[in-house]
Amino acid sequence: MIRLVLAIVVGRLVGRLSRLLGRGGSAIPGLVAARICPTVIDRLAGKLPDGVVVVTGTNGKTTTTKLLVTALDAAGTRVITNPTGSNLERGVATVLIERATVRGRPRDDMAVFEVDEAALRTMAPRVRPRLVVVTNLARDQLDRYGELDTTAGHIASALVHAGSSLLNADDPKVAALADGSSSFFGAVADIRHLMPPDDALYSSAAVRDPSISPAVEVTTVEPLDGGGQVVGLATRTGAVTVRLAVPGVYNADNAAAALGAAMALGVGAEVAAAAFEQMTPPFGRGQVIEYQGRRVVVVLVKNPSGLNQAVRLLGAVDRPGQVLIAINDEHADGRDVSWLWDARVEELAGTGHRFGASGTRATDMALRLKYAGIDAWHDADLERAVERAVTAAEAGDTVYIVPTYTAMLRLLGILLPGVPRHEVWA
Amino acid sequence: MSDLRIVHLYAAHMNIYGDAGNVICLKRRLAWRGIGVEVAFVEVGDPFDFSGADIVVAGGGEDRAQVEVAADLVGRSAAIHEAVRDGVVFLTVCGTYQLFGRRFVTVGGQELPGIGVFAAETFGGTRRMIGNVVVEAPWGRLVGFENHSGRTVLDAGQESLGRVVRGHGNDGDSGEEGAVTENCFGTYLHGSVLPKNPHFADELIRRALRHRHGDDVTLDPLDDHLELTAADVAADRP
Repeated sequence: MIRLVLAIVVGRLVGRLSRLLGRGGSAIPGLVAARICPTVIDRLAGKLPDGVVVVTGTNGKTTTTKLLVTALDAAGTRVITNPTGSNLERGVATVLIERATVRGRPRDDMAVFEVDEAALRTMAPRVRPRLVVVTNLARDQLDRYGELDTTAGHIASALVHAGSSLLNADDPKVAALADGSSSFFGAVADIRHLMPPDDALYSSAAVRDPSISPAVEVTTVEPLDGGGQVVGLATRTGAVTVRLAVPGVYNADNAAAALGAAMALGVGAEVAAAAFEQMTPPFGRGQVIEYQGRRVVVVLVKNPSGLNQAVRLLGAVDRPGQVLIAINDEHADGRDVSWLWDARVEELAGTGHRFGASGTRATDMALRLKYAGIDAWHDADLERAVERAVTAAEAGDTVYIVPTYTAMLRLLGILLPGVPRHEVWA
Repeated sequence: MSDLRIVHLYAAHMNIYGDAGNVICLKRRLAWRGIGVEVAFVEVGDPFDFSGADIVVAGGGEDRAQVEVAADLVGRSAAIHEAVRDGVVFLTVCGTYQLFGRRFVTVGGQELPGIGVFAAETFGGTRRMIGNVVVEAPWGRLVGFENHSGRTVLDAGQESLGRVVRGHGNDGDSGEEGAVTENCFGTYLHGSVLPKNPHFADELIRRALRHRHGDDVTLDPLDDHLELTAADVAADRP
């Protein structure tokens, strides 16, 4: 008990100091607390009266988590969550100690944590989630994560410690994780084929197991002029329509996952759907930002399936604009940029957009575009590249910026200077 | 001039590191020079006679896929050996490079049979060799990214693709990277390897045209400034 109290007090103090020094502080307090009391996560998570929900998978973790938290909030649940980018044990520990009383009692009912696929294996036995949501599994930073089968194995071993799971019916690697406690979300065939799973990158192998009947399914997707979309979702208790501020079919899929999770946690479909409309998009997930009189849309990409989604989004807009793709190869992005060649960049030819490339691997991206038959300028300096893309945009044009993770964090400082990172939910 | 025929071997199974970029690169560089090209896909179980191919390209894959491919490849061994003797160009990367050696012994002691085009054997290790690689090959520098735990050991007398300047190469010790037998190339370099190494891509194209038409061909030069700049950048990245 004394160790736990000490961990909470010292951890928080460290967090306050770190913020005073302007360093954010979503990891260090948790690290320090876990050093003082190694079971800090187990003990604090175990006291939450309504338990812990975990969202994991390659893409869509952040948006799905945020949608689910918004729905639970609307239903009157006091819910805590971790900021994205803090999805390892230390990030979760930080949130838990910040929100607990000094004596280690929770102030909240429930936690919804976004958890890194590889970190889930060790975290699951500690937080014993009542529900694990798995969005999808696609090749991602192979130099860091290793094989996709290994990641699937990590999640499978984590699910042993979970009460139940909500799985993507249309991703064979995720659906294969099912046991007796699993339920599913998905999309109808017409929409599903717009989000091919990893197995289908180079073959047409992937088909949904016909015995699976999803609890929530995307039935219609209609893009809105000003950005965002209207999504139709079928549930066991009837159909709902949701107006989402974020564009792209994959975000409709995230909404299906969040709705499935919310309903499994006792929130009514109508309440959740209404709450989703209030969600402000996380930074880099496709919302519109005003910058120097231009509309700027930032779409984070981390892997080929994410880049394919961005390609699809760029192909679907009515009016061509400026596109800046910023590829960094820092540790957090993955050092290997081979994945650029796995994405269907060829589909961008003939879209009418003008292209530029930036980031530490600006030349690799420009080269990828060249071999897709697309002319592009390149400038490794992100600030200059943003300036160039924005200057090239005419009034009414949209500037689409497609950054990897660390490029997105730099972009935040360029587009929204002075706004602290933790306030933007980057 | 009749079209060059590229075969993308095992695209569905062996595609995990962007190796499809090698096919994209060859197609473009042929098209820019007005040389017709046709790409065929050969997957596990597909009947195929390699004598009709000019360039065969194959990539790396996950362990499970590699096991399936190894079994399929054994059945094609005689046809591939004949094609190699005949001068068909092969580019095998990572997982297929390993299977073009005699055998691959995994960390757990499991043995995957290879087809022995290269006088080489691969042994699974516990250390992963990951990072940007620079190799000095007879016809210029090669830059790529490696990610493998298999250590490939060449027999004395087996020609390598080049000397490692930076990175690990075949086994992390010998200073050698890749293997070459006739027109069959093996390498651990992803990246994809060809786009940032246009002289390597052109070497494959030249050999394929010679195989097809029987005499040496001079390729029209292309503007490779961006390709070589990208290689310079990659060579300097951590």
